[in-house]
Amino acid sequence: MIKINNLTKIYKLGKKKMAELKTTNPEKIAVNGLSLETKEGEIFGLLGPNGAGKTTTLRCVATLLKPTDGEVSVCGFDTVKQGAEVRESICFLTNEIKLDPNFTADYMFKFFGRLHGMSEEAIEERQNMLFSQFGINDFKDKKIEELSTGMKQKAAIAVSLVHDPKVVIFDEPTSGLDIITARVVTDYLKQLKEEGKTVIISTHIMSEAEKLCDRIAVIINGQKACEGTLGEILEKTGADDLEEAFFRLYKEYNPEN
Amino acid sequence: MKGAGIIVRKELKRVFGDRKLVFSLFILPAILMIGIYSLMGNLIKSMETDITEHISEVYIVNSEEGFKQTAKAMKYEDGANVIYMTESDYAAQKADLEDRMLNGNIELIVVFDKNFESTIASYSKAGDPIPEVKVFYNSAENYSSQAYNVFSGVLSAYRTSLLAQRLGDLEQLNVFTQSDSRIVKEAKANNQFISMMLPYLITMLLFAGAMSVGVDAIAGEKERGTLASMLLSPVSRDSIVVGKLVSMAILSSLSAIVYAVSMIVAMSVMGSSMGELAESGFGNVSFGPSQCLMLLAIMLVMVYLYVAIIGLLAVLAKDTKTASTYISPVYIVVIIAGMITMFNSGKALPTYRYCIPVYGNALAIADLCSNELTATNFLASLGGTLLVAVIITFAVGRAFNSEKIMFNA
Repeated sequence: MIKINNLTKIYKLGKKKMAELKTTNPEKIAVNGLSLETKEGEIFGLLGPNGAGKTTTLRCVATLLKPTDGEVSVCGFDTVKQGAEVRESICFLTNEIKLDPNFTADYMFKFFGRLHGMSEEAIEERQNMLFSQFGINDFKDKKIEELSTGMKQKAAIAVSLVHDPKVVIFDEPTSGLDIITARVVTDYLKQLKEEGKTVIISTHIMSEAEKLCDRIAVIINGQKACEGTLGEILEKTGADDLEEAFFRLYKEYNPEN
Repeated sequence: MKGAGIIVRKELKRVFGDRKLVFSLFILPAILMIGIYSLMGNLIKSMETDITEHISEVYIVNSEEGFKQTAKAMKYEDGANVIYMTESDYAAQKADLEDRMLNGNIELIVVFDKNFESTIASYSKAGDPIPEVKVFYNSAENYSSQAYNVFSGVLSAYRTSLLAQRLGDLEQLNVFTQSDSRIVKEAKANNQFISMMLPYLITMLLFAGAMSVGVDAIAGEKERGTLASMLLSPVSRDSIVVGKLVSMAILSSLSAIVYAVSMIVAMSVMGSSMGELAESGFGNVSFGPSQCLMLLAIMLVMVYLYVAIIGLLAVLAKDTKTASTYISPVYIVVIIAGMITMFNSGKALPTYRYCIPVYGNALAIADLCSNELTATNFLASLGGTLLVAVIITFAVGRAFNSEKIMFNA
């Protein structure tokens, strides 16, 4: 479904950015030769600390960034050459990408449905289903800016799923959510998996990765440190739990610490 | 390009679905403009009325009977409280009177030479003494200036009556007469004020309109993270650029129309309360249909150019604040370009000047008002602007495709 082959992403830093990062190197390697493949009907997790390159990887998959080297393909479409087709088959959710606060969830849903080239009937049908599933109908005519964080997140998820994508990309799915809304989101991700969709998420929360993900790739310094099911990772690292496994890997990749 | 239409509809709904935004973008400017101009007109009018109706305090020294009769015949004392005094009284109060004039308490002091009329009567040959009238007034005081003007009229009548006494026949003074006839294009005469102001106002107001809607539509969306969600749709980035620019153009044209209409209304309101201005062709625009179309064409390419410039700067900026900072210098350049055309002596300018965006458009509008726009200059003004606007549009497209600009990556 998602095939990442030797992905490398190098950012060119401006003078300001270099000063910010206290470096004289004008290049920052965000992702370094990362390869992985996800299967249909699984939840795949990218686990790593802040700045490990998780978001960059997901943005490359979502066609928002172009790889410096290597290829990414989604459902057989190349993210660089066939961007429109890739965007047709994915949805990408993050906390930084938001719905326009001046519109209602109802209008936003229809707007994105139209941008995806869907017919009004198809949009209507999809809306009825998703809005009742997420309990959005109660506040669908309120402007996004008037909604609570949880309501906003629900609306954003529903809107991003308007075109029934095969692949769901979710950058930090539960970050900033209360425990109840977070549960609604993780439950829905499981349901998507059962519907046969491919779900790829990034997270730095160990328990989330443990409970939610079928397979996990531990990303450290832009490289894949370990990949496999929870059991496989524990076995490879000889640790008792994921947190312990993660620290062992982290030490291995950052020997000076 | 189907996506562009959907985006345009959304952008328009964003503005027209928000009553506060409609009010601040379209209704408030109209109210302000008409309100300020009619207030200004009324204030000027009431000031003028007050000045003409004011009873001025006038001191006249050594006045002779002849002057008093003239003043009476002209009903001078209806509008002035005249105090006649002798020279000795005046000498005693001189310092006090001048002080009061300085403070604006009295308007006029007139001092006739002693034996004024008898000196005039005894004149027989060149070199004989000629008496003098000293008139003191305070030019910084409106009341005093007005009193001076009115008194000058009386004095002039007095002079005429004295001349008539001396010469008997005033016709002797008329060596010849002069008669003036104007040969002028009606359009040019009527619209002198308009053709001076209109190009400047249009260049400036169109930009102001585009600025108020453009910054939020692009930099605001970028700042709020809502633009990225659009970039994730299968619609091409070029469609998004077109959708954004077209909707900005529609909104800024509307806002420019609101400004233009309210300005015309405001000026005619002001003109009607100020009679003199109305007479000098103040609110008197008479455009034929072809002129209207030409004006519309020029305004459309200008709107396109402005929207492209603002779009480019807004997409380069990381938030609305930075965008406003980038746009301010451009606004100043636009204002200056419009202003330069206000002070044009009327000499025919070479065609290449019309090709310069903004400045050339302002020139073309000025010529249009005076009915002097040639087809070549019209097309040059359209072509030059259009070319630059298209180039900038491509730059906007490139910026939308740059991950460094869009995601700060």
